[in-house]
Amino acid sequence: MNLIGFQTLVTREIKRTFKIINQVIWPPLISTLLYLFIFGFSLGRRIQDIDGVPYLEFLIPGLIVMSVVEASFSESSASLFQGRFTNSIQELLVAPLSYLEMVLGYVVGSILRGLIIGNLIMALGWLIVGVSPANWGLYLLFMVLISAFFSCMGLVMGLVAESWDQLSIPGTFVITPLVFLGGVFNSPRLLPENLQPFINANPLFYLIDGFRGSMLAEWKAPIMSELFFLVLLTTFGLILAMNLFRSGYKLRA
Amino acid sequence: MSIALSIQSLVKRYGDFTAVDHLSLDVPEGEFFGFLGPNGAGKTTTINAIVGLVTFQEGNIRVCGHDVAADYRKARACIGLAPQEFNFDRYLTIREVLLYTAGYFGVPAKEAKSRADLMLRQFDLTSKRDVDYTKLSGGMKRRLSLARALVHQPRVLILDEPTAGVDVELRLELWDALSTLNREGLTIILTTHYLEEAQHLCKRIGIINHGRLVALDQTESMIAGRSQERILLEFEAPVQALPAGLEALGAAWDPTTRTVTFSEALASDLPRILGAFEGQGHRLTHVDVQRKTLQDVFLELTARRENP
Repeated sequence: MNLIGFQTLVTREIKRTFKIINQVIWPPLISTLLYLFIFGFSLGRRIQDIDGVPYLEFLIPGLIVMSVVEASFSESSASLFQGRFTNSIQELLVAPLSYLEMVLGYVVGSILRGLIIGNLIMALGWLIVGVSPANWGLYLLFMVLISAFFSCMGLVMGLVAESWDQLSIPGTFVITPLVFLGGVFNSPRLLPENLQPFINANPLFYLIDGFRGSMLAEWKAPIMSELFFLVLLTTFGLILAMNLFRSGYKLRA
Repeated sequence: MSIALSIQSLVKRYGDFTAVDHLSLDVPEGEFFGFLGPNGAGKTTTINAIVGLVTFQEGNIRVCGHDVAADYRKARACIGLAPQEFNFDRYLTIREVLLYTAGYFGVPAKEAKSRADLMLRQFDLTSKRDVDYTKLSGGMKRRLSLARALVHQPRVLILDEPTAGVDVELRLELWDALSTLNREGLTIILTTHYLEEAQHLCKRIGIINHGRLVALDQTESMIAGRSQERILLEFEAPVQALPAGLEALGAAWDPTTRTVTFSEALASDLPRILGAFEGQGHRLTHVDVQRKTLQDVFLELTARRENP
């Protein structure tokens, strides 16, 4: 086990995050503030409680998941794609790092970015709305696993993409719709009946629902089965990313 | 003596194209080995197969006794690579490039710092330690590339065209540094276009063409005594017949023009050549000595070995 090599890669990913802080840390915080402002002070009072939870409290966990998903997906996908684009990925490929260490290096780097952003938003929510996690253990576990899964998907996309333009496709056409229809701003159960099969097929719905349950004591969710589902997703993501790295797909000619 | 690099029957295909065709090669520890060949001959593909940037279909490669596929981590730990194209990490400063590379190779932080600083001093980059690599001149980038390849103290140093695009002064500096490293026991394998470079540095040379190893010999026996120049003579009037005694020097002339070229003559043959023409009453108007390109020498060498 090349522990030093693995730590070096994680450090490198964090360094990258802070080097592009204006692109990756401030935007989600500012948009969260704007959402809270619009929904909290202009619309919020007209929106009823959702299943007994005041609207702003309902909103905070969704906003956190939205930013964590975006952060971890774009961290690993952009970092890996850029490495392929500039060939600097070769620095890793010629080093005595196992494929597992390479994948985990990127994934842990993305999780740390997800944790930083997720917790900054949680702190904003606590300051403005007064919501803090009801169950810290579950809250952090959900956040880490959601980050890990989307970071694996980011690695897959970072390998598949052939241009920066292609790299933006899943964010725009898959992740954003799934997040918005997965219950960030409203309960998807309030959507029309004939849309319910799509809601049930949307994995983001279960992740957001479970995460909301970990933060809000009064939110009734089947947390444990949703957590189990998330563990399965993350395992699948790791195995997929590992196999692509091992096969050298788009990494080794 | 133990073998630093052993390649056995390496085959690399890209679709229908065979880039490396059953190439076998052993490089003993401590040797300075030159890998020569024209563009597209398969040099870089072979290098990349050794370091793990390219997968291959057949054969096997061992570095310091470790199989590069089955035991890839041990094999890679032995190798320092300075690639042809710069591939530095754009988020790091010069010093960080060295620190992070040392880290990827498992060197503890404290040790990595002292080695990075030593490398910066050795390659005269200390004043640039905190800038991005994009701010470096071409020569500095070459030096950084070499420093990065050495920072984890490899047993085998692999250089892909290390002096491509550098000026004469830096080339000599790099040659000096490489010779010193080799004297200290480091095995060095380099690819080059420059025959002069191979001749100056390498103990043994392998020539690759169309993915096959067409020549493999001690540098001296391969190149020594060979002409590296082409002599061009121009006369007042067309030359109808070559003076006797000059046939072996690779003469070529056309009775309708006034020039004669000698492709196999050494500079020491020049007085004899000029004397022979003068004896026949030809009046010389112009002499030119052109350095042969490596391509010319390859053609001569490969023609000789492919059609003995």
